[in-house]
Amino acid sequence: MNCVLEGNCVKAFGRAIHALSRIGEELWLDPMVGGPAASLLVLQLALRSVNAAHSAYACFLFSQLFFQHYSLGSASEQGNETVKCKLVIKSLLPLFRCLTSIERNVERCQISISTPSDRVTIQFFCRHDAVLHIVNTWWQCAPNSPSAFVIGITKTHSFRFQESEALQAVFASHSCPNVLQAPASRLLSDTVMHFPVSQEEITLSVTPLRLSLRNHYERGNVHMKIINTEISLPPDEFDAFQVGVDSDITFCLKELRGLLSFAESHCLPVSVHFGAAGKPVCFSVDNLVLKATVVLATLIDSESGGPSQSPETPAPTTPRCAGAAAPPVGSYDAGNSKPQDFPAVTELIASSQGSPIINPPALGQPCAAISASTMICSLLFRALSSEQEDAADDLPVLASRSDTEEEED
Amino acid sequence: MCLHFSTTMPLSTQSQAQDEQYVLVASLDNARNLSNILKAISFKDHAIFSATTNGLKVTVEDSKCLQANAFIQAEIFQEFTIREDLVGFQVTLTVLLDCLNIFGGSTAPGVSTALRMCYRGYGYPLTLFLEEGGVVTVCKIKTQEPEEPIDFEFCSSNVTNKVILQSESLKEAFSELDMTSEVLQITMSPSQPYFRLSTFGNSGNAHYDYPKDSDMMELFRCTKTQINRYKMSLLKPTTKALALSCKVSVRIDNRGILSLQYMVRNDDGQICFVEYYCCPDEETDDE
Repeated sequence: MNCVLEGNCVKAFGRAIHALSRIGEELWLDPMVGGPAASLLVLQLALRSVNAAHSAYACFLFSQLFFQHYSLGSASEQGNETVKCKLVIKSLLPLFRCLTSIERNVERCQISISTPSDRVTIQFFCRHDAVLHIVNTWWQCAPNSPSAFVIGITKTHSFRFQESEALQAVFASHSCPNVLQAPASRLLSDTVMHFPVSQEEITLSVTPLRLSLRNHYERGNVHMKIINTEISLPPDEFDAFQVGVDSDITFCLKELRGLLSFAESHCLPVSVHFGAAGKPVCFSVDNLVLKATVVLATLIDSESGGPSQSPETPAPTTPRCAGAAAPPVGSYDAGNSKPQDFPAVTELIASSQGSPIINPPALGQPCAAISASTMICSLLFRALSSEQEDAADDLPVLASRSDTEEEED
Repeated sequence: MCLHFSTTMPLSTQSQAQDEQYVLVASLDNARNLSNILKAISFKDHAIFSATTNGLKVTVEDSKCLQANAFIQAEIFQEFTIREDLVGFQVTLTVLLDCLNIFGGSTAPGVSTALRMCYRGYGYPLTLFLEEGGVVTVCKIKTQEPEEPIDFEFCSSNVTNKVILQSESLKEAFSELDMTSEVLQITMSPSQPYFRLSTFGNSGNAHYDYPKDSDMMELFRCTKTQINRYKMSLLKPTTKALALSCKVSVRIDNRGILSLQYMVRNDDGQICFVEYYCCPDEETDDE
């Protein structure tokens, strides 16, 4: 794979890496072919990360249009042949540490993956002087202009990567009962700004009449010194406000902040798809050339504030096959009987491995056995504590790596 | 070292007779013009002072592989009197710097510490008279037998490759250098990549290539391709001198010895020089 990004896009790319670094320690770099419709040969580059607990996943998907130049290389007729690399985010972060100096100095950036040497190479072609930059632009417009007109420092970084199966999460966003869209303003960023940086989790409560965010702390850990913050927003603050199921979802705020600052810097509206507590919540932004998604697990907490669960939600007793108790909210809780019939999902990232898609029903008893401190459920992967050995098979797998049984912890 | 505090003896009232006992008297209205440049070479405890009629040279060495020299010409000083051809002594540099900054090293405008540095000769301490806002401090620093600085026998005629760069561009590279790399490799060549800094760290390799024709490169004179590696730990101290400088000259001779010369402007706009010599890392062969 070989791609070239010009100036401003390098900054966006850097921001994506910053956002992904809030999620996990490793980054999956996945050049791919595909898109929503399999017939369209759309070239894309996906950057993904997942946290150690497998309760947060992020994906930045850049389309071909984002790049000045993008090619998969000679041995890549089908997506299956492209290399999927795993890199340590800590190695990449220093390259994009100072985004303002990137904006000022970097003319273009070239990223290439070399399979024989197992290396990813990132090259920055820097400009030295603003006046000379104009000259450079003229050069590049001229036909047959030399493609390497270097007027400043060229920085070449190469990293060893680990070849890895693609990371993917499957999230049935289109069938979520609750869909919000925050406008392309700083609405969500400004709202979460009121929570201290150390705040781990927040609870988002929604009814058709209002949305509120409050900080979450574990029950039994009531300290008199905690400052409780609650922010309410009326539906008219949002571009879209569809509440099918009143719900309170608690998720990790820290992992979301990266996406929110990305959205703010690109002036993009943020879409939120979620259901009842226990089901994952998906935050996403997109524009013509890129799409960013963060999927977070939410707490199952049967004690959470009163009648927050609507009667439609299935009783939390069946660990699996909730088909029988499927709520009218849709096929979201459909059993795993016919995975192949699952309709194409806009959030779905094309799986080159064709892993089965399993919908997670609400988690029941197995989760009740988990101690309060590990109640983050609705895991994206087969990754639960060892106490759940038996239940592990029964627990829903939102996403899977095709032939992995061991966990990466 | 011992300190005397006195409010009754401004520097200017010292009598001429007292001066005659000193082999070296050097005065500065602003002690920072000395302390800043000494900070740039303060990577080891001891410094060798060597004064001639040309001025003061301060040398610091590390493990026989690295040597730093700071040159403060006689013209920089408000007074520079030397009664012998060569005056040499060794002091603990950290102590000297502490004394030069004894008034707190504040950077308030118009406020500076005045310095009068006096040395009677072999066996005597180095006496510093420091004054700020009417308060005078006298510091006497024990001197030691000066060690012989290493002579790297670096001469211009043996220089294979030389470039002069604007410090800004080198500062950028040095601030980003991968410190997990044990060595810094410097490639100088009349052909591509011309001038390249490379690191080989835990996560991967990095190369910084400087084009030969750009504003950053004030002089480019490379005759032969040379690739040399230098221990990162030895070169790390040079970043202090780089930070103070406006221009750097990078020269490598036919043995691979690296000479870095930094042009430093002091508070009053006067030019001083700091130079570093570094031996190549033993394990590499020149290509």
